[in-house]
Amino acid sequence: MLDNPASPTPEIFRRDLTAWLDANADELTPPYEGAGSMDEQMGHYRDVKRALFDAGFGRCGWPESVGGLGGSPLLRAVVGEEVNLRGLTDPNPWTMIEVLAPTVIDLARPEISARFVPPFMRGDEMWCQGFSEPDAGSDLASLSCRATKTEGGWVVSGQKIWTSFIQYAQRCVLLTRTGEPGSAHRGITALLVDVDSPGIAFSPIETMHGRQDFAEVRYDEVFVPEDRLIGEENGGWQVAMDILPYERSSAFWQRGALLHRRLCDLVAQVAGAGDRSDNSAQSIGRAFQSLVAFRSRSRDTQHRLNAGHQLGVETSIDKILITWAEQQLFESVRDLLPGVIEFDDGPAAAQWRTDYLYSKAASIYGGTSEVQRNIIARRLLDLGPES
Amino acid sequence: MSRPIDADDLALMAAGFEAAMAGASDSREAEQSIHELGWADLLDAAPARGAAMAFGALGATGSAAGLLDDVVARALGIGVSLQTCVVLPAPHQAGPPARRRNEMGGGLVVNGLVSARAESATAAVVAIADEDGGGFARVDASSLRRPAAGGVDPQNAYRRVSMEVPADAVTPLKTEAAWESAVTAARAALACQLIAGARWMLAQARQHALDRVQFGRPVASFQSIRHKLAESLVQIEGAASVAEACWRDPDLLLAGLAKALAGQAALTAAAHAQQVLAGIGFTAEHRFHLRLKQVLVIDTLFGSARSLPAEIGRDLLIRGTAPRLIQL
Repeated sequence: MLDNPASPTPEIFRRDLTAWLDANADELTPPYEGAGSMDEQMGHYRDVKRALFDAGFGRCGWPESVGGLGGSPLLRAVVGEEVNLRGLTDPNPWTMIEVLAPTVIDLARPEISARFVPPFMRGDEMWCQGFSEPDAGSDLASLSCRATKTEGGWVVSGQKIWTSFIQYAQRCVLLTRTGEPGSAHRGITALLVDVDSPGIAFSPIETMHGRQDFAEVRYDEVFVPEDRLIGEENGGWQVAMDILPYERSSAFWQRGALLHRRLCDLVAQVAGAGDRSDNSAQSIGRAFQSLVAFRSRSRDTQHRLNAGHQLGVETSIDKILITWAEQQLFESVRDLLPGVIEFDDGPAAAQWRTDYLYSKAASIYGGTSEVQRNIIARRLLDLGPES
Repeated sequence: MSRPIDADDLALMAAGFEAAMAGASDSREAEQSIHELGWADLLDAAPARGAAMAFGALGATGSAAGLLDDVVARALGIGVSLQTCVVLPAPHQAGPPARRRNEMGGGLVVNGLVSARAESATAAVVAIADEDGGGFARVDASSLRRPAAGGVDPQNAYRRVSMEVPADAVTPLKTEAAWESAVTAARAALACQLIAGARWMLAQARQHALDRVQFGRPVASFQSIRHKLAESLVQIEGAASVAEACWRDPDLLLAGLAKALAGQAALTAAAHAQQVLAGIGFTAEHRFHLRLKQVLVIDTLFGSARSLPAEIGRDLLIRGTAPRLIQL
C-alpha cells in the first residue's frame, strides 16, 4: 500500500511500489501463458489497473481534479516502467492513458475530465484515438470526417481507420472536419465521443501479427453533445499537436521497459546456451547500445515534462530512437535464436514471433519514420521548405 | 576552487577554453593556455563534468590539444602536469598497453599510442596488463619520441608507439586507482569530443545545403538531403544524452556505450556531411577533411564504434542479463 501519498520522491515511490508489486505478484501476474488472447489481455489489464488504483500507486502523478493524488508525472513513469519490466500487462493498452489523458485534462471542460478520466485511470474504461482516415495517414491535416453543428452539439459522419482497442473502448478522442473542405489544419475540431453512441459501427482489422489491434470505424450521423468539445472549435489541430508529442515520447518510456525485459530474455537465453561468440556479443551489444540511447533520451524527456516544459517537435527524435532500438532488438533475436521465429511452437516462440512481427510497425505508427525526419528537418534543423 | 562548480562557471570556462583553443597556433600552445586557465583545478573540482566541458570544446574547435593525458592521469590519481604523458591503448583497444617480459628481467613491451605531448613531456605513465600482474610504471618520455611522420590526421595528435623498455628504465608507480577508472573517464570525455565534432560537421552541412542552389533551389529542399541531416541529428542527440548521463553517474559500461554511440554518430554525421558538402567537402580548402580525419582518430581511442559493441555484448553475456542503466 502507498504509505506516503504526499509527493514522495521517485526513489521512495519506486521502493514502495516494487515492494507492493512483489507482495502481490500472484494476483498481478497474467493468468495466461505467453501473450494470451486479446480478451484475456484486456481483462488482466483492467485487473492490474484497478489494483494499482486501489493501492494508490495508479493515482500518483495525476492531478487531484481528475481523481489523482497529485505529485510529479515522473511517478507515472515509474509505475509504467515497473509494470512493463515485470510483463504484468500488454504495453499497448497501458500507454493509451499516457497518450490521451494529459491533453484532455488540459483542454477539455473540467467537468468532462473529472467525469471520464477517473474510470480510465481505474481501468474501468478504455479510450481510443480517432485520428487517421483511409485518405489521411501521414497527411493528417487532410482529414475529412465531418462534424456539423446542430442543436446542442455536433453530428459526425465519416470514416476513421487504425483506431486501436475500439472494441474495448467507451470513449474516443475524435478529430473531425468542421471547416470548409480544404481548410486543412485550420478547420479541425476535437471531440470526446461515446463509443456506444448510435451510428458508430466498426470492423476489426487483422494485423500481420495475427491480432485485431485496430479497427476501421464508420460514423453515420453520430450526435456528440457540445460539452464534449476538446480545446476550441476549429482548434483541433492544436489538440492533435498536443497529443502527438505524448504519443511520441511518454508512452514510449514504458515501451522501452518492455524492450529492456525482452533484451534480458534474449541475453539469458543466449548466455544459457553457452554462446559467447563474437557475432552474438556484437549483435547484443548493438541492440543494448540502441536501447540505452533511447532510454537516456526518454529519461531526459520525462524530466523536461516534469519541469513543466511543453513537449513538442523534439519528441520526433525519441520516436526514431525507439524505432531503431525495437527493430534492432528483434532482428537480433532472429539472428541469435536461429529458426525460433520461423519454425518453433510453444508460448515463448509465439511471443518472440509476435514481438518480431509487431516491431515492423514501429517505423509506421504514430507518424512514419519519414514523417519524423521531415519534422526534424523542417522544425529542428530549420532547413526551410521542401521542394 | 572555494565553492562547487555550477553550470554558469562551466559555460564561462568553456568560452575561455574554446577561445584559447581556436587562438593557439598549435596543439602545444593550446595545451599550455588551457593549463593556465585552471584546467587542473577544474579536473579536481569536477572531474567528469569538467572533462566533458573541455572535450566538448576540443570537438567544437577541432583543436588537437592533448588533454586526454590529463584526464587519464587524474583518474589514476597521478598529478596533472604538462610534463606527464600517458601511453594509451592500441587502436580499437582499451586494455593496458604494456606487457611485462620475464626474459628482459622485468622490462616492458609497449604497444599503444601516445599524444604529441610525448615530444615535450619528461615522464610517461604506462599501465601493465592484468595477466602480468597489472599495476603502473613510469618511463622516460624521451624514449617514446618519434619522428612526426605519417598518419591520417595532419595535426598528428596521436601516433603509434611500439617498443621495448629495459627493466632499468622502468620505475614502478604506486596508485590506488584501477585502469578501469581511466578507461571510464577517457571514454566519457572522448564521447563529448566526438559529439561536438559531429555537431560541427552537421552545422557545416546544414549551412551548405541552404546556400547551395542547384536546379533553381537550395539543395536543402531535397528530401534525401533533409533525411540525411535529420538522421545525423537523431544519432547525435541519442549519444549526447548518454554522454551526459556519464557525468551524472560515472560507470565503465555506460561510458563504453557513450563512446560507441558517439563514435557511430560522428561517423554517420561525417559520412552524411561529406555527401551533402559534395565537391567542396572533398577539397583540402574546406576544413571538413580535418574534422573527418580527427573523428577517424578519436574513434579508435579506448575502443571504437566497431569494437565496443562486442565488448559490451560480452559483458552482458557474462552477466547473463542486461543491467538497467539510466534511472529516472
